[in-house]
Amino acid sequence: MRPENYQAVPLGDSNEYEIFIGPNHPGIEGNYALKLILDGDTVVKGTTDAGYLHRGFEKLMEGRLWIQNLAIVPRICVPDPAPMEVSYSLAVEEIMGIDAPIRAQWIRVLQLELSRIAAHLFTFGGHAATTGMYTPMYWGVADRDLVLDLFEDFTGGRVYSIYNIPGGVRRELPEGFLEKLSHLLDYLESRQNDYDNLLFTNQIFVQRAKGVGVLSKEDALEYGVTGPNLRACGLAFDVRRDDPYLIYDQLEFDIPTQQKGDAWSRILVRRDELFQSIHILRQVIAKLPSIKGPIRTAIPNPLSWNVPAGEAYARVESSKGELAYYVVSDGGDKPYRVHVRGPSSMHAVQTLEFLAKGARIEDVAQIMFSLDACPPEVDR
Amino acid sequence: MKKIDYRDKGSILNPLKNLQFFARKPITEKLEPRPASASYRGFHINDMDLCIGCSSCQKICDNAAITMVEVPSIKEDAAKGIRNLRPAIDYGRCCWCALCVDICPTSAIEMTREYVHTCDGDDTDSYFVFPSENGIHDLKFAKGWTKTEDSDLLDRIRRPMGEMKPEARINNFDEVVDGFTMEMAVEEASRCVDCGLCEDACPAHMHAPNYIRSIYEGNLEQAVEWMYETNPFSHVCGRVCTHICEDACSLGRVDENGVKNSQPIAIRWLKRFAMDNVSKATIKHIAQKGKTHIKSGKSVAVIGAGPAGLTAAFDLAKKGHRVTVYEALPKAGGMTRYGIPNYRLPEDRLDQDIEVITSVGVKINYNVRVGTDISMQQIHQENDAVILAIGLHNGRSTRISGSDNKAVVKAVDLLRMIPQGDKFIAPKSAVVIGGGNVAMDIARSMARLQMKQHNKVNVVVSALEALGNSFLADDEEVSESLEEGITILDSRGPKQCVISKGRLTGLETVNVLSIFDNKGRFSPKYDNSDLQYHPAEMVIEAIGQSADITLLGKDLIEELDWDRGRIKINDNGSTSVEWLWSAGDMVKGPDVINAVADGHRVANDIDSYLTR
Amino acid sequence: MSLESLNEILNKINTIKITHKHKRRIRVDVKADSLTTLLELIKGQASFLHLSAITCVDWIEDNQFELVYHVWSYEENCLISAHTRIDRDDAKFVTVYDLYKPADFFERDIYEMYGVFFIGSPRMEKFILTEWFGMPPMRKDFDSEAYVQETFNWTEYNPDWLQELSDQGGGIAIKPEDIRLSGTLHNKATHREREKAKKEHVVGKGWKS
Repeated sequence: MRPENYQAVPLGDSNEYEIFIGPNHPGIEGNYALKLILDGDTVVKGTTDAGYLHRGFEKLMEGRLWIQNLAIVPRICVPDPAPMEVSYSLAVEEIMGIDAPIRAQWIRVLQLELSRIAAHLFTFGGHAATTGMYTPMYWGVADRDLVLDLFEDFTGGRVYSIYNIPGGVRRELPEGFLEKLSHLLDYLESRQNDYDNLLFTNQIFVQRAKGVGVLSKEDALEYGVTGPNLRACGLAFDVRRDDPYLIYDQLEFDIPTQQKGDAWSRILVRRDELFQSIHILRQVIAKLPSIKGPIRTAIPNPLSWNVPAGEAYARVESSKGELAYYVVSDGGDKPYRVHVRGPSSMHAVQTLEFLAKGARIEDVAQIMFSLDACPPEVDR
Repeated sequence: MKKIDYRDKGSILNPLKNLQFFARKPITEKLEPRPASASYRGFHINDMDLCIGCSSCQKICDNAAITMVEVPSIKEDAAKGIRNLRPAIDYGRCCWCALCVDICPTSAIEMTREYVHTCDGDDTDSYFVFPSENGIHDLKFAKGWTKTEDSDLLDRIRRPMGEMKPEARINNFDEVVDGFTMEMAVEEASRCVDCGLCEDACPAHMHAPNYIRSIYEGNLEQAVEWMYETNPFSHVCGRVCTHICEDACSLGRVDENGVKNSQPIAIRWLKRFAMDNVSKATIKHIAQKGKTHIKSGKSVAVIGAGPAGLTAAFDLAKKGHRVTVYEALPKAGGMTRYGIPNYRLPEDRLDQDIEVITSVGVKINYNVRVGTDISMQQIHQENDAVILAIGLHNGRSTRISGSDNKAVVKAVDLLRMIPQGDKFIAPKSAVVIGGGNVAMDIARSMARLQMKQHNKVNVVVSALEALGNSFLADDEEVSESLEEGITILDSRGPKQCVISKGRLTGLETVNVLSIFDNKGRFSPKYDNSDLQYHPAEMVIEAIGQSADITLLGKDLIEELDWDRGRIKINDNGSTSVEWLWSAGDMVKGPDVINAVADGHRVANDIDSYLTR
Repeated sequence: MSLESLNEILNKINTIKITHKHKRRIRVDVKADSLTTLLELIKGQASFLHLSAITCVDWIEDNQFELVYHVWSYEENCLISAHTRIDRDDAKFVTVYDLYKPADFFERDIYEMYGVFFIGSPRMEKFILTEWFGMPPMRKDFDSEAYVQETFNWTEYNPDWLQELSDQGGGIAIKPEDIRLSGTLHNKATHREREKAKKEHVVGKGWKS
């Protein structure tokens, strides 16, 4: 809803009052709003107000050639665009009955894990900022920029890589890229102490985050929560391991979990995951040079490329959780239907409303950010 | 990695440890334009000379950011496939995906490593950019995202056309090529980027992009409909067209930086495929489309039932005029029947084209030689307009010494005899003078006859031109001839036919130093010291043809304006005599598709003349 | 759980059609009236606890909406996609909210985007398109491109280089909106088409001028 169209609801004689936060709340990635009914500082009821980022991507994709959609999909989640590209490509490949060459699959993993690192760094900063700490945000964004430098190096774009294509990836890694990546990983590991000091062992932050937005495992399952948020409730589920795609089944990595399901658990899971991603990337660096071969399976001329009729549900693990593309082809040169199942669509609406209830107003932003909710995944 | 337990409380002092940062040297980034990484998708540059204006970039652009702009200072050349359209980019819409770079058939459009463009206030015009080689701000940034073999999006390689093995085809006149299967045709058609350069290049402007698209969609009938809009000789052109379209095809470009091997769409073979796979009845039905049922009451005579004459007759008949065609030979088709051997164009295909043409109401009088059986005056009196389209049926002679011997013959005369079923005994050895497609036709026909009759091929082709780029015959003709055991001697000029006791024994040739003089005129220079002798029972001259204009009669020849031995015509094919038009090879030089185009042109002009 | 016992559970629905796409993907097609029963069965007896998504596909030519329920089992590591079709003119269906809470989000989304009403769903109300009163826009008969053309203007540009080219007799030849038409390729670059276009508008002018 446009803010100018918002009208406060008079709440009669009770002590309750309604406030509207958003759509440019600093603690929220992208534009999103909440209507809160408060009793004192306590939230009685929270209602999400989505739609500020609705660009009709699913509809747009129905009107564009299969290849043209590559430029749209990463835009659905700005902080973590790579899984979008990969998921779309995987779905199209499944319908076409082709596989990307092995080397391309390794490169895709490299891109996905780098993207995950970038997204988590962003989230650390954002989460800290919702508790009033801005330095982690500057750090997080600055270090993410170093990751973006690498994206620029091998994909040609800093944020929107547009690097995947059904059948593989668009170009070979540049020379010396793996060394650069290795240096970056060393650097990120060297920063661990700084981040721990500033954030993860900072008593102020720990106390602010502990016990906030508690989600039990049962509730999490009921509300369709996935990804780090689910793992923070004690369920070790990860699409990469349990519904493996690409070459994830050839990689060795742990699935970090926590038990309490609160904001503190969630950010701890993300912290550990970031280092798991570094661990995965080290394996990619070791293995990739020995994997020779093409990086693309040929697809027809994109201007007359009909994907055979069929449908596919391609799931990947994004930094936010289970991301899936359901793609339907009627045999034409454009998708008949693309449905984007963004993980945040589960986290940012029902789960957030559920957790907001009974929370204190100063924690609402933190709850939202601790869920790592990405509003464009809701709006699409 | 250090573990942090959920229960860890942390310390209020920990963040203070980061005060050490005050003791570190600050990192300073200079605020100046810095080049991005080597494959960055920055702003566009476009090499104006490489760009051909095909507009593929505009089609692939997912944000409709590209406008094609006409640049009058760029010279268009339809035959080479160059348009004066160039892309302009709206950076208010561009998303820097670089699909335009990856699809560009000529690797003309690329991106730089430049990051920033901004403007003051409302000056949004600066967002609409016409990229040149210098980049958006003339700052000469290095190239960023350019096309690589990996990132190229086009399907560059032709689906191979199967053909008979040389040993299987050498003793017969069966068609050499197999033709596409449906699957191959659809795949081949899918390679098309729909730029339309082929249509512009084609003399008849056949709607090739449209029929390729129809074939891709599996709708062969619609493909044939598109063909009949411009060409009633689609069977013939599907086999023996000189395919100027394929030379103009945007996929036929090779560039040393990006894609090294790229082959044009096999437009001719696709046409052949569609025509072969639609029934004659359906084609007849398609040919009827657009035919008026109103009789104009005017009548037109066409002299010569070749592609030009019959195309004109086809058009005029559909427009309601009464059309009579006079043909001196027993069958129609002109040079396509009496010049092109069956292994390239089977007669039944030609018969079908002609049957379709006659089915719209064209009447052909066979075995009527104008000038002998009926006079020009009589035809003029009986008709409102006359089209002269008699082709080039007189072979030219080299006029070298000995060429008047009866064993020295013209290629056209020989070729005419073969399909007429004349009992013809092939010489055991023959030398062909000439390097064009006619020379190859007669050489290959002769080779077949020799194999049939003597079980041994002995044909030598002596051509002025050097093999390679300047050679006149098509590459595939040359390679297939060589496969069939024909010897091609390039850069050889004929010196004399050696006659001994009135009998031809062979041909002497000399090495060619140059073919044209410094003004570009045909004036071959020979090195007489490099003499070779080729024994042969027959020497065949295939160096060109001329029209036999005696049928016109003395008065008409005098009345007409002439242009270097050819009848002078204006752009519409009309001669200086009001009721007479001329079309086809005799005025435009030998080529089927040009003849078809000429036929349309003349028919249009006559129609407006008759209905004015 | 073995594949056999899963098949056994699925086959309790009479009219079911089961397609094993690969190890972890099963497609089932059921009649609309047995969909809820199916979901109850696989949730209750086969641990398919996680509703991953509900997708609606508008098969306008069949005059049907297809609803696809993607359900995942954390124990079996398997995804069942249950497909069913409903009448497009009478676009109503029962909610599965009682079984799967996330259905609230998906059903509300489908209601708003396709106009399928889910009986019993807790929030059949506006969600993302709070200020939209037209046809549900994801329906195939809503032409978003036409809507955009009607509603918004193309930016008008008239930079110096374009003015120069216009003065020389050139200028804009093919506008992007002429060729794109939702990705349908229409050749506008041949001489034939350009001559036609020249008759229709004066080359060298700006956009909608």
